[in-house]
Amino acid sequence: MAARAAAGGREWRLALPLAAFFLAFFVAPLGVLVAWSFYDSAELRALTLAQYARFLGDRFTLGILWDTLTLGAKATLVCLVFGYPLAWLALRLPPRWQAALVFLVILPILTSVVVRTFAWIVMLGSQGVINQALAAIGLVDRPLRLLYTEVGVVMVLAQVQMPLMVLPIMATLARVDPNLSDASSSLGAGAWRTFWKVTVPLSLPGVVAGCILVYAACVTAFVTQTLIGGARLIYMPLYIYQQATGANNWPFAAAMSVVFMIAVLAVVYLLNLVGRAARGAYA
Amino acid sequence: MTTTLDRRSFLAAGLGLGASLALPRRALAADSLVVATFPGTWNEAHSKILAPYFRKRTGASVTQTIQLAHDQIAKLAAAGGKPPFDVAILDDPQVLDAIKQGLIVEYPTAKSPSFKELLPEYQDRWGPKISMQVIGIGYNPKRVKNPPTSWDALFDPKYKGRVGLTALNSQLGIAFLAELNRIKGGSLADFEPAFKALRAVLPNVGAIGANLGAYATLWQQEQIDIAPYNFNFVQTLKGRGVPVELAIPDTGAVGWRTSLHLVKDAVAPDLAVQYIDSHLVAEVQAQMQQAPYNVIPTNGKVALTGEITRSLGRTHAELAKIRTIDWEKLNPQRSALIERFNREIRV
Repeated sequence: MAARAAAGGREWRLALPLAAFFLAFFVAPLGVLVAWSFYDSAELRALTLAQYARFLGDRFTLGILWDTLTLGAKATLVCLVFGYPLAWLALRLPPRWQAALVFLVILPILTSVVVRTFAWIVMLGSQGVINQALAAIGLVDRPLRLLYTEVGVVMVLAQVQMPLMVLPIMATLARVDPNLSDASSSLGAGAWRTFWKVTVPLSLPGVVAGCILVYAACVTAFVTQTLIGGARLIYMPLYIYQQATGANNWPFAAAMSVVFMIAVLAVVYLLNLVGRAARGAYA
Repeated sequence: MTTTLDRRSFLAAGLGLGASLALPRRALAADSLVVATFPGTWNEAHSKILAPYFRKRTGASVTQTIQLAHDQIAKLAAAGGKPPFDVAILDDPQVLDAIKQGLIVEYPTAKSPSFKELLPEYQDRWGPKISMQVIGIGYNPKRVKNPPTSWDALFDPKYKGRVGLTALNSQLGIAFLAELNRIKGGSLADFEPAFKALRAVLPNVGAIGANLGAYATLWQQEQIDIAPYNFNFVQTLKGRGVPVELAIPDTGAVGWRTSLHLVKDAVAPDLAVQYIDSHLVAEVQAQMQQAPYNVIPTNGKVALTGEITRSLGRTHAELAKIRTIDWEKLNPQRSALIERFNREIRV
């Protein structure tokens, strides 16, 4: 607070161009979207809550919302389980190896999402690399179904979004004072105990940040969900798209978008609370 | 710092740059046309054959944006009098939507010298039909030795896990469902037989493509062996070495027409008509009929050749017999059918 006051009262104006940009291209369209969701039909004749009632009163649509939210949770968990050790390991490597590993981690985001996803289709297919390898070493006698399954979607999302998990965790782990681990072991704690009681709590802000980024990216990953999941696994982005274009039902699509956005924001808020509570407990 | 760019001029320059990016480019160039085209075969034929012909004829440039018919409708409706393109490419059902929503205008046939060369069934006052798209049974000849002769092949237990379908947001999906319904005794007022048949075929279904791009991948990756498919898509994939053939079932082929339309409030309406007319010229249609495009011609002066005569019909009269669907009756139910289909197939 004091720092802000000391910086004078005019620098905030530097943020104006960005704020104007957001206002014009994000907040305003969002307002339009919310307004649309209260209309009865694409002809915009009467105001109504019918679109929300339709969404919230239908087990099918609620099922889609639930599947989407849990898909995000599963992919985030996989990212965390694989990403945390990766980040931990990367910091303990010599600088040159560390750079190579970080490059490998961010490699997925350097290619187009469509290219990446099609590459995964080639790998996951019944004639794909994974199935051929499994068959060659005799683990399976008929191809595993990976494409068009939730397992497949989670695998691909986890790989594609991995950088969003690894980088924030690496950033916080790098700031953890190594003397703390030394202190812990000199006080008699083993390596595991030090890891769980010292390193993990101190890296929680990075973990929470990574989880929020990965979660938000996974639940809205239209291309990956659609191409790897196929038409039988319906998630919110595909369903909203179908209602908006195929069925031409914009108000319903808008209402679904609003509900979906609120649901995702709620999850993000919960993650934040967890992060704050954990920090409080260890502070 | 030696730069003379102060804050005020930096902001002004930034705003100027932003505004020039935001301004529609087409407002600046009077001799350029923006048109819509479909993905895949159509886009290739349009950029390799139609665009060069149009450029030579008018000296104007053309930008082709790739969009599915329902995306075009959605964008034109959202644009509210400032259409993002001047020529729409639509299939039969979307034409009805576009007319109803006032998104296209009647085609000025007087300004289009080639219009009267079209066979009468393709001369539509809302926009000339430029081709027909036909669906049949696609199959992988490496794995399906005898070409299927009936849609019932999809229900054969020996194809368990090897049958493909596509979601109803594509024309292929909805035309297939309508045809399945007709064969199983349904009518456009009663789709119950189609959904009963769909439930019967689901145990065989290995994958349902969410869109036509994903559907093509299913064939490329040999993830499916037998599935409803579109004549032109089969030819495109075959041209790329994918093992796929099309069989016309004994109940006959089903198809719909594709047409070009002058969009309401078009920026360059005269160029748009020239572009559409270019597509009707016998020379252009004859080129598009060649492999790998195999676009069915609608100009009566173009004699049928190639894959079209082998798979679909030897004469225009035979092609005219291909069954079409009454979209006037089907359209109002489309959104309910998509909804129902989603519920039936969801795992």
